Amino acid sequence: MSTLRNVAIVGFAQLPVVARDEHHVTTDMIYMAVRQALTNCGVEPGAIEYQISGSTDYTDGRPFGFAAALDAMGCWPPKQDLHLEMDAAFCVYYAWLRMQAGDCDTALVVGHGKTSEGDPNRVANLQLDPYYQAPIGLDLKSTAALQASAYMTRTGTTDRDLAAIAARNRTAGARNPDNQVRHAATAEELLQTPWDVEPLRTGYVPPIGESATCLIMATEEKASALCDRPVWIHGIDQRVEMQTLGARDLSRSASAQLAGQNACAMADLKGATEVDLLELFATTPVEELILCDALGIDPKTARPAINPSGGPLCAHPIMNTGLIRMGEVFRQLSGRADGRAVPGARRGIAHATQGHCLQHNLVCVLGTERRWS
Amino acid sequence: MKRPVAVVGVGQTQHRSKRADVNIAGLVREAIDRALLDAGLEHKDIDAVVIGKAPDLFEGVALPEQFLAGAVGAHMKPMLRVHTAGSVGGSTAITAATHVASGLFERVLTVAFEKQSEGNAMWALSPNVPFQPKLVAGAGGFFAPHTRAYITRTGAPLHIGPMIAVNARANAGRNEYAHLREPITMEDVMNSPMLWDPIRYLETCPSSDGAIALVVASEEQAKKGPRKPAWIKSAYSYAEPMWIPGRDQVNPLAGRTAAKAVFDKAGITNPWKEIHTAEIYVPFSWFEAMWLENLGFCEIGNGWKIIDRGEQKFGAHLPINPSGGVLNTNPIGASGMIRLGEAAMQVMGRAGAHQVEGAKTALGHAYGGGSQYFAMWVVSSER
Repeated sequence: MSTLRNVAIVGFAQLPVVARDEHHVTTDMIYMAVRQALTNCGVEPGAIEYQISGSTDYTDGRPFGFAAALDAMGCWPPKQDLHLEMDAAFCVYYAWLRMQAGDCDTALVVGHGKTSEGDPNRVANLQLDPYYQAPIGLDLKSTAALQASAYMTRTGTTDRDLAAIAARNRTAGARNPDNQVRHAATAEELLQTPWDVEPLRTGYVPPIGESATCLIMATEEKASALCDRPVWIHGIDQRVEMQTLGARDLSRSASAQLAGQNACAMADLKGATEVDLLELFATTPVEELILCDALGIDPKTARPAINPSGGPLCAHPIMNTGLIRMGEVFRQLSGRADGRAVPGARRGIAHATQGHCLQHNLVCVLGTERRWS
Repeated sequence: MKRPVAVVGVGQTQHRSKRADVNIAGLVREAIDRALLDAGLEHKDIDAVVIGKAPDLFEGVALPEQFLAGAVGAHMKPMLRVHTAGSVGGSTAITAATHVASGLFERVLTVAFEKQSEGNAMWALSPNVPFQPKLVAGAGGFFAPHTRAYITRTGAPLHIGPMIAVNARANAGRNEYAHLREPITMEDVMNSPMLWDPIRYLETCPSSDGAIALVVASEEQAKKGPRKPAWIKSAYSYAEPMWIPGRDQVNPLAGRTAAKAVFDKAGITNPWKEIHTAEIYVPFSWFEAMWLENLGFCEIGNGWKIIDRGEQKFGAHLPINPSGGVLNTNPIGASGMIRLGEAAMQVMGRAGAHQVEGAKTALGHAYGGGSQYFAMWVVSSER
């Protein structure tokens, strides 16, 4: 791997995840997150060269929902800008590419999604191809259940195994004040919850929440002025698979595996086992297991720690969930994780996904030291 | 941009009001197959795919790039989906160019599409946003007041809009891919129904099904290709807020800022003299006059005079929209990339019957939102 520019995350802010924010419209929510992130960096919007947001019109229930972000991101006078119809974690990937191209040294990334405006599960149905898969009524829960069945059949994983993973997330998540679900639960309790879509119980899937998030990035030249402990991008890659569920082995994630290999190679790591913590965008215990398989991690291992934030099972604000993974690794590695800190953490992986059954995966390796000298 | 980037392949579909012969994937694939053929490449040669389109509400499929990932050849590759309102085709192409400029990608496929016949754009563009007045007039109802303000400010005579429409249609007649190609007269335009004063039916863009794909590549790849590439000299996308006090929707600051950036970077000091042709995003006739000023091709207030003198016609000093433009072909999400792609075709010398003679440097331009999003590039036949 040739030498690339060192790029760091220098700030992150999020609104606590809630089921429905009754008091704020999207622009208000974004403004609060942006303001907090800029304040943490000690700068005004004029100090940031580039801005990019991630959201989706269907979640906002309107065309051009992202235009609401322009009123809160601080682009007056006008600024270089982009919007991706994707989880905002993918915006980090593109802002990083722009920095590699030498086009900017600072970037503001925003994620938003006011999910309470609509019915996220119905939107998920409309994400499937309109000819064969959507008409049969599949939605986010039913495709996740298909995937869970495929995985459990192949590996012999039991209901009790899933409950244990959900319980570990829930126990960790109780320490994270930004989570929507903040009460711990035991495996025994979760095993008593009813089927959502068999083999997934209601205790194994998160409620859909809403939030707004803002992450600030800077190149080596600008990072130290914005943050006392910047967290550096060591490697990053993203890969997509075809959507057609019947054409994929749903019990595995080939795209997560490839993205992980490429990100680790860029980071000069032998594998994901060399990091101290993982923040995985896993919305079911089975997704966590499939991602661990793809990254070569034993899910029962104590190190790396998996989802010390509680993960998406405790907070799943659509279009923000991936960016929060990056924000969480930043908090862990920059001494901002408070009661959920992983002791001595120096390297971490943030993962993000999009689409049904882990269709599109992004893996980012982050560290406390600069990657390239 | 850290290193040179070139357009090495362009492919677009036949644009029609209803492409009932293909589904969404088939439409997108028609453009991609032509672009790859043009570039002399195959799917296996492509390192990443960047997709753009306007609101998903147009077709009723949320995040359609997910179901298209196989059809566009993105399986196991990096993929991004861009959406910046009407400018999306432009910003998508720029996003692809950035991939190559970063040094991490050699050949990137980018595609933009809209299959408007699947839904109803007027409905999708008439949102009921909480705490905002309900707009039930589509894009034309939003932009008509801007054109009226332009007429009031400049004192432009009312025949300018129809002149733009007639010229654009004459241009489309030379473009085999254009949606509307039958010639129209000033009388036709003046007698067509008033839709949103001062915009008449024949001064507004159609609803089209269509797609365009480009292959952008590194210098090394461009030199290996079967054809002369279009070198991207500069590319920028800028945006501004909707509700900032002091905004000027007739002459938006984001457009001026992007134009200055794109010309400065390309080393162009006098665009009127140094640009040989421009593809400008004109969904309603009067915007051609407005954007000529916003882009700095003339002094403020003089855009309409260029049109009155016919200096923007095919064969005249600065041919604008030799393809016929958005007024005659408007698959919304693709329209911006068609502007940038047509500019590339001109400097490659491959625009066929609508080739501008001696076009060595060209501008491609797109805008969107409430005149908030601007994306543009300057391409040249010279590295």
